[in-house]
Amino acid sequence: MKFYVNARYLIVPFMSLIAIAGILIGGSFAWVGVALFGLNTIIDTLTKNIHLPADFDETGESYGIKGFQYAVMFLMLPVFIVLQLVLAYRIFQYTSLTPIETAAFLGVSYEVGTSGLNLIGATLSSGLWAGLGIIYGHELSHNKKEGFFVSRLIMALSGASHFTYAHVYNHHLDLGHEDDAATAPRGRNIYAHAWLSHMGQSRFSYNLEKERLSKRGSSALHFDNRWILGYLYSLPSIVLFVWAGGLIGVAALFSVWVIANFLLEALNFMGHYGLIRTEGAVEHRHSWDNDSVFTSWFFIEIGRQCDHHVRGETYFWELDDVEGPNYGIGYFSLFVLTLIPPLFKAYVQKHLDNWDEKYASSEEKVIAAQFS
Amino acid sequence: MLNLFKPRPTSYADRLSDTETTFTVKRGESLLSSALSAGIKWPFKCKVGSCGTCKCKLIDGKIKAQLDFGYVLDMSEIQDGYILACQSILKSDIQVSVNLTK
Repeated sequence: MKFYVNARYLIVPFMSLIAIAGILIGGSFAWVGVALFGLNTIIDTLTKNIHLPADFDETGESYGIKGFQYAVMFLMLPVFIVLQLVLAYRIFQYTSLTPIETAAFLGVSYEVGTSGLNLIGATLSSGLWAGLGIIYGHELSHNKKEGFFVSRLIMALSGASHFTYAHVYNHHLDLGHEDDAATAPRGRNIYAHAWLSHMGQSRFSYNLEKERLSKRGSSALHFDNRWILGYLYSLPSIVLFVWAGGLIGVAALFSVWVIANFLLEALNFMGHYGLIRTEGAVEHRHSWDNDSVFTSWFFIEIGRQCDHHVRGETYFWELDDVEGPNYGIGYFSLFVLTLIPPLFKAYVQKHLDNWDEKYASSEEKVIAAQFS
Repeated sequence: MLNLFKPRPTSYADRLSDTETTFTVKRGESLLSSALSAGIKWPFKCKVGSCGTCKCKLIDGKIKAQLDFGYVLDMSEIQDGYILACQSILKSDIQVSVNLTK
């Protein structure tokens, strides 16, 4: 049981390595990361009706091994660095006009050089897996100093180091309020939300630092401004891609960042779309749960938002079903719907109606009525 | 008001000065989590260090802050010994004062 509970959360590390191997092997294998994303969508859709509770032994202790899960999360930082390095390597080959030919290493044949089309595949693969890997940045943002710093570095690889502070000090505190940039109000589509949420969180993070430094009597332009430091952590990536491919390198890195941040904001969008909170503590009803089996294991239980927002200090492997609002389908399936706003709106309406009727407080119902 | 408890290898004792309540805090567990496990109605809201509801005054002993208290507490509060229970890991037996009626 212990092995099963801990091993089931290794899907992303395993698939990230496959995506990296695909870029290294080159040719059409550069698209493997994209293909895996499609495969995951199919698996998630086929298994949407399987919901499993968290596993505890007879004494109520979780089977999760903290040391192991933390080691995996910390090790994902070098994995994401390698993901950027292999993309930069391919960009360098493309811009230096390296001839496309087949070679072999330890019996495995690979392609030296790359076509423009396969470079696009490598870029999309990198962006998708950098974005999916942001789940580790989220989990570590809730933990101790070392984990918090690793979270900042993981997010910085996607140019989003501000997220770590904004998530803890804004999203968890102001969830469901208009003050929370990461909560999407009813009627907003995912494309608008991705931009508004990203910029809103960055602005919050800047103001948070400004206020903290002003308490100390310091200006916002200070070497200890963690909003500025966060963006400086992204500098090595920028230098790497400029060196590897000049403008093409910058375009590729920008694409990776856009895709990764879009996926991050998609998670925020799906986790709280249209939910409303008035005064008082965050309760289970202020989040949507996505706990179909593949979503749970792949996204290291980030879909158990209802429990997570009430017990923010709880490790992901201990989060459980709390019978909160639930879309009934996993994140991959729902993500596809969000990409087509009219389709998402049609799908989500019955769930919002159900929330208004069964979950909302009287004050929340009044606000909800203003959106209908 | 004095701390009478010696550090133990796997847990520390926390004493609430206002009620003279004493409870054990497991090593690595937050002060707030242990207090709630001990059945104490400690005020809290977010549990992630962002709201400040669980703040208390450290009278004696040492803690390790898991997040920077400077985002939630004023400088004067920090200088007066206020800490966030949800982000405090004990480094010794401690004594704190907390308003349980909040």
